[in-house]
Amino acid sequence: MPKLYTFLKYFFVVLWACFVIAPFLWAISTSFKDFNSVTGGATYIPWLQFEPTLDGWSVLFKPGSQGGINIIGPYFNSIFVTLTASLISIVLGTLAAYALSRYTFKAGIVKNNDITFFFISQRIMPPVVLSIPFFIFLSSLGLLDSLAGLILVYIVLLMPIAVWIMVDFFNRVPREIDETALIDGCNPFQAFFKVVLPNSVPGMLVAGLFCIIFGWIDFFFAFILTFTKVQLLPVKIVALNSSITPWWSLSAAALVSVAPLIIVAFIVERYLSKGNLSGALK
Amino acid sequence: MAKIILENIAHTYEPNASNPIFALKEMSLSWADGGRYALLGPSGCGKTTMLNIMSGLVNPSHGKVFFDEREVTSMITEERNIAQVFQFPVIYGTMTVFENLAFPLKCRQFPEDQIERKVKEVAEILNLQDYLNNRAKGLTADQKQLISLGRGLVREDVAAILMDEPLTVIDPDLKFRLRRKLKEINDKYNTTLIYVTHDQNEAMTFADNIIVMDQGEVVQAGSPKDLFERPQTTFVGYFIGSPAMNLYECSASSKNEITIGTNSFKVQTNINDSNSENLKLGIRSEYITVENEHSDNSLEADVIEVEDFGNYKLVTASFDSFKIKAKVKRELDIPSEKVILKLPAEHCCIYEDNKLI
Repeated sequence: MPKLYTFLKYFFVVLWACFVIAPFLWAISTSFKDFNSVTGGATYIPWLQFEPTLDGWSVLFKPGSQGGINIIGPYFNSIFVTLTASLISIVLGTLAAYALSRYTFKAGIVKNNDITFFFISQRIMPPVVLSIPFFIFLSSLGLLDSLAGLILVYIVLLMPIAVWIMVDFFNRVPREIDETALIDGCNPFQAFFKVVLPNSVPGMLVAGLFCIIFGWIDFFFAFILTFTKVQLLPVKIVALNSSITPWWSLSAAALVSVAPLIIVAFIVERYLSKGNLSGALK
Repeated sequence: MAKIILENIAHTYEPNASNPIFALKEMSLSWADGGRYALLGPSGCGKTTMLNIMSGLVNPSHGKVFFDEREVTSMITEERNIAQVFQFPVIYGTMTVFENLAFPLKCRQFPEDQIERKVKEVAEILNLQDYLNNRAKGLTADQKQLISLGRGLVREDVAAILMDEPLTVIDPDLKFRLRRKLKEINDKYNTTLIYVTHDQNEAMTFADNIIVMDQGEVVQAGSPKDLFERPQTTFVGYFIGSPAMNLYECSASSKNEITIGTNSFKVQTNINDSNSENLKLGIRSEYITVENEHSDNSLEADVIEVEDFGNYKLVTASFDSFKIKAKVKRELDIPSEKVILKLPAEHCCIYEDNKLI
């Protein structure tokens, strides 16, 4: 029985791995094809079944004057906007979450749980509802078509995620750890910064991962709130589309844009297990 | 180090409620400097609330707290200079054992050489000297609890060390050694130790003074001997001692005599109001003797069970519709059917409305 169990376990793991990796292999293979190789039926092995070409990739880095879209600028814009907005969201979100977890707030019928829900309710609304208010808001601040404007909007979108994850994290952290720090001679700020915060790194990394993912993949607000001066990667990639869909360069662009998320996921993956989240302190 | 005085202290967690439930009912208590106390009572009786009021983690809704002459009621925890150890180990997981033990001293900006000397001294007391450079997170539960304890011991000048059932997670052998260590520390540094527990053996073997609490009230405070021999309430009689005190509803037949069912017993207590309806007789099973013949204060009972505990025998018997337990010497032969038991008058406690007369 144990042998059968082991066999089945590995069988499904391998099956799942194939399922996950197949689209990537397909995209890698497609990114090295040309028009004829893509439209001439399914082929898989370079040099044997099709002649690989770098055309799909070169379009991404050539300037517009040479028929390319040059994603380097938007790529770094996306990295800058996503990381800055995520970082600010994590800092503010962690502070808010700690307060919501440790102190009791009450204003009429509104209590801690309602405030936490208020944060996350911002994510329940369809983005299109927020598009006009955000447009008017940024316009009045003179921040349309700017990195600062996008960062501001992304903080609004990402902070609820950070608050939501971190409230749950802090609720699982025993209060005794804060109380012990107070007894040991810390004031409440020192207790938070010296003791609670260093132990909260796993939670912050997980919250950071989600913020980065949601920030990185946003197309809607990047499309509505920017025009010519500032562009983010998702908007630029859409510019590739034309009357003939360029599958080869779209595949290359997809691989380039998903790469940072894979790297971040590999770094944070170990912290995603429940044990690391709940057992960080005791 | 200081004398701790609780003056008319009471606490409710719902101060705005129209009819609040008090976790701690109004009381005044004082803890002598250098004393070794146990706070004993069932779960939820207010022990931890009292401890938290002393350490400043909870602000009492009523009353005042004094450390010597100084009022500290509104003083925050960090200023009270008190050490507290919780039931479950609380360690700073990102720090090494050394850093954990040094933390209270670093927070108070002690000089480095003094920190090192004190941490090493405490580590040796707690057998942690080989782990000083290890990450605290990787240690076993009892080692982690030793660290929690160690953080309380590194400061020599603490007003008191408050321990909230600190040895729950520690194995029995180490528990015994640690209790002895704590006593040594108390003798050596004259540090006030207040030890919360619901285990009466732990309380009896550790403390000079025991405070028994029930439903937010102090029901008795005294030495282990007082608590054992003269429980002030039936609750204390029942809660302290193993097995619990034998308690029987009775009626007064004269000033110094009571009746239980068909049996009468002489007692040394003067029962003033012989019409009292809620009278109880309590006697420890340790003081009940097995006799060969009837005499004053003896009764005949049917043996239900004789349990041999190695160092003593526990006889469970019944008379009228009551059960009685007697703890007797192991060598004694106990008849298998009928047994004559004597309840010495000097050890009979009489309770009226559950309070000792």
